Amino acid sequence: MTQIKDSARHTRVVPGQPDMWAFVLFEALIFTGYFSVYLFNRAQRPDDFLPYQASLDLRIGVLNTVVLLLSSWSIARCVEAARAGDYRKASLKAGLTALFGVVFFVIKASEWVHYTAQGNGVTSNEFFNYYFFLTGIHCLHLLIGFVVLAVVIYQLRSPLRRSQQLIETGATYWHTVDFLWVLIFALLYVVR
Amino acid sequence: MNTIINKRLPIAWLVLTLLTMCYLWIDHAADGDAARQPSALATTAAIIIALVKVRVIFREFMEVRHAPALLCHLTDGWLLLIGAALLGSYLLGAAMR
Repeated sequence: MTQIKDSARHTRVVPGQPDMWAFVLFEALIFTGYFSVYLFNRAQRPDDFLPYQASLDLRIGVLNTVVLLLSSWSIARCVEAARAGDYRKASLKAGLTALFGVVFFVIKASEWVHYTAQGNGVTSNEFFNYYFFLTGIHCLHLLIGFVVLAVVIYQLRSPLRRSQQLIETGATYWHTVDFLWVLIFALLYVVR
Repeated sequence: MNTIINKRLPIAWLVLTLLTMCYLWIDHAADGDAARQPSALATTAAIIIALVKVRVIFREFMEVRHAPALLCHLTDGWLLLIGAALLGSYLLGAAMR
């Protein structure tokens, strides 16, 4: 019995469905392209980027990053709880993840309104062109993440529907939303 | 029912949050109260910190450290690729200024 437990502990398995990992790596490559074009342009024409970047409030970006990191921690706890058979706790953690996601979205949307009111709209200058494109496409991924979380919570509610693999797949998607933001935040708010 | 608590998760979150806070210092150190200037040092530091954070998310939150070696190599390989692409694009753009 001990041997079985030990071998199970040392068996390396892909978290969630391998198809989701293929999607994650595909997305990662697409964003690598977006980021590279953005960095090339801003390094080549700093005057079109740096004065406008100064309008961003780094503290808001830091706050939003911490909120999204909390959501990632929460969905990781959801996976753990489901693995341990504590489905009620898993459901609560998935709900908490969605709540952090909503906080992130509200802060991001208020930033968009604030910058637009300042005269930094989508087409006002090259920096905010990239800013709205990158944060907009990220928020689209976030909105899809809410659907994914809804599916996870729906699965967790009934013993007939529960699938650990599907819960892990949903978590993998949510973490992708998180790590893409980690990169977008550094590239938009911090680089010079 | 008691869930076994993985103590690595809060530590990972703390490390990620502390690394995020480093950006406040980099931002201040880069130009202080002066007008913003291009800075390869600040850019490189920001990118490296972001890549370290992404690796922590992969390894700890996404459980890649328990995954087959292929997935570990693919995620690490992408991190090297994006690191080279980002720094290369920035330096190339700066050289063509």
